[in-house]
Amino acid sequence: MSKYIIRRLLSLIPTMFIIVTLSFFLIRFAPGGPFSSEKKVPEQVLQNLMRKYHMDEPMGKQYLRYLGDVLRGDFGPSFRYRDSTVNELIADSLPNSIVLGTFALFCATLAGIGVGIISSLKQNRWQDYTAMSIAVVGISVPLFVIGPVLQLVFAMKLHWLPLSGWITGRDGLKAMVLPALTLSFPYFAYIARLSRASLLEVLRSDYVRTARAKGLPERVVIVKHVLKGGLLPIVSYLGPAFSGIITGSIVVESVFAIPGVGRIFVQSALNRDYTLIMGEVIVYSLILVAMNFIVDIVYGFLDPRIAYK
Amino acid sequence: MSRKISKTVNEFNQQLKPISLWADAWKRLRRNRMALISLWIVVFYAIIALAAPILPFFDYRIQNLDHTNLPPSFRPAGQLAIEKLKSQITILKERVDSGMDTLKPDLERAEQELTVAKDELISNPENKKVYIFGTDNLGRDMLAKTIYGARISMLVGFIGTLTAVLVGVILGAISGYVGGWLDNLLMRFVDIMYGLPYMLIVIILMAMFRKEGQSSIVILFVGIALVSWLTIARVVRGQIISLKNSEFVEAARSMGAGPGRIIFRHLLPNALGVIIVFTSLSLPSFIMNESFLSFLGMGVSAPLSSWGSLVSEGANTMELYPWQLLAPAIEMTIFLFCMNFLGDGLRDALDPQSKNRT
Repeated sequence: MSKYIIRRLLSLIPTMFIIVTLSFFLIRFAPGGPFSSEKKVPEQVLQNLMRKYHMDEPMGKQYLRYLGDVLRGDFGPSFRYRDSTVNELIADSLPNSIVLGTFALFCATLAGIGVGIISSLKQNRWQDYTAMSIAVVGISVPLFVIGPVLQLVFAMKLHWLPLSGWITGRDGLKAMVLPALTLSFPYFAYIARLSRASLLEVLRSDYVRTARAKGLPERVVIVKHVLKGGLLPIVSYLGPAFSGIITGSIVVESVFAIPGVGRIFVQSALNRDYTLIMGEVIVYSLILVAMNFIVDIVYGFLDPRIAYK
Repeated sequence: MSRKISKTVNEFNQQLKPISLWADAWKRLRRNRMALISLWIVVFYAIIALAAPILPFFDYRIQNLDHTNLPPSFRPAGQLAIEKLKSQITILKERVDSGMDTLKPDLERAEQELTVAKDELISNPENKKVYIFGTDNLGRDMLAKTIYGARISMLVGFIGTLTAVLVGVILGAISGYVGGWLDNLLMRFVDIMYGLPYMLIVIILMAMFRKEGQSSIVILFVGIALVSWLTIARVVRGQIISLKNSEFVEAARSMGAGPGRIIFRHLLPNALGVIIVFTSLSLPSFIMNESFLSFLGMGVSAPLSSWGSLVSEGANTMELYPWQLLAPAIEMTIFLFCMNFLGDGLRDALDPQSKNRT
């Protein structure tokens, strides 16, 4: 087991290395630069700027310098927000994104499993059909459609919830309802479908028949036998779901004007803020890779059939 | 025995009609009513999108400043415009009566416009136009706009899926059939690509390499196609590996068939069901990805528009003119909904024992 963990941890290194290298050169070889804006900058100023950010050095040297800095945990100064470092910008925005994403994923999992259980127990009845139709809608409707429509209905017409923004404190929860609902909808739908399918399979399995045959009450059969085996696929879906939540939060954060990493990411990509883009990509990838890793390990503990070699 | 026996016969010497995999699948699909309805709706969308230039829609580029922001209606545009002016005049009158004298010129101008509009109601053929989806802020027909947006979105979905399937099938088949170090290398590569936060890479690609005012559809294709072949390659590889040691492959090999012939004539037809299911399910995801980028302002750029950019435009004005958001949003949702239902139906039809049904 510990051997497997160490091997997995080691295999993260090349993945991260490839991500860093690929995005570094992708960004550097793109036409235009962080200082090419509508306002023409004098030649001398440009040269000074280039020197300050080490942009006048050869590409290889810049790359090695960047790698060294990143290994020390320093993402460098932002090109656009001159007064802040990338570390500060990410430290300011990341907590918001994580709070939103975790909350959304939590709601999606809870609701999805609940709906999955109901529709698998009532297979081919109206409860099942309703739930699965909603689930297909959830998978088909893009986030950027759900978001504005929810805004239109609940904020502009009914005035129940704030339109957008991010407030801390007691009203913060109210402001978080719409974005979290938007973000969680597709994952709720997918988890509901997934748990329905796997629960149906378990319901037909021999050990459930045995449990019923020996006279256990239905409640015990469902809770102790069916759910235990049937919800395992959900755990393994949580890894990819988290990565989807990260991408989805880019849209949700721009629709609802939430100061999170996703919004900064889009802006920095448009601004060609080299260091900020790199920092964000690295942070995102680390979260992604770490989540997949954790999910794999947890899965191994939950499912005794899986042997780590 | 010069003539080939084409009819199958059972043990009582009765003729049997052989049922091919496809006829069988079609039979199962036909029983799935939702999938069938979805199929017809998708066909309808495809026909409209393909034939849009020859169908009698208005030109989506024509602006009519007398007809801005008209709501969806089956009545002629001239009447709607007059009603809009009338309600404007009542509001202005109230304001002027309550002492806002600065609005007086506005009121007079609106009244003049109203008389002109009334005069032209019959004479100007423009006023007989019917905008069933309403118009946008420049007086362009939303129906035509969403149809031309649909063309772009569907094109992106189609080309993306096509590249993904071609590249994925070829690489997956070779990887599975040849095996050994090549298989190892390709699958390691696929693993690493899976680990990439690919939407971020695509966003960077789009933001960095697209030039203002220039259609960036090619980069969009490259960006989306870059990673889309991974899943299909894995699936096809698995199918090929499970089949490549079976008797019919051995028979083909013993008759002197080369690897190319075995892969394309004997192995891939057996994986066709999976490929079709994947295709039908990945088309909506491509359209979603493209619209996602367009919504962020990094997809197709003006004058081209796609569902995503239309939704993004509509979201800006949704408080006053909700149809500008809802028309493209609903149109797009119906299409994606049907594609997903059709994909599910195809999977159930082609692969009745599918283990990974979700």
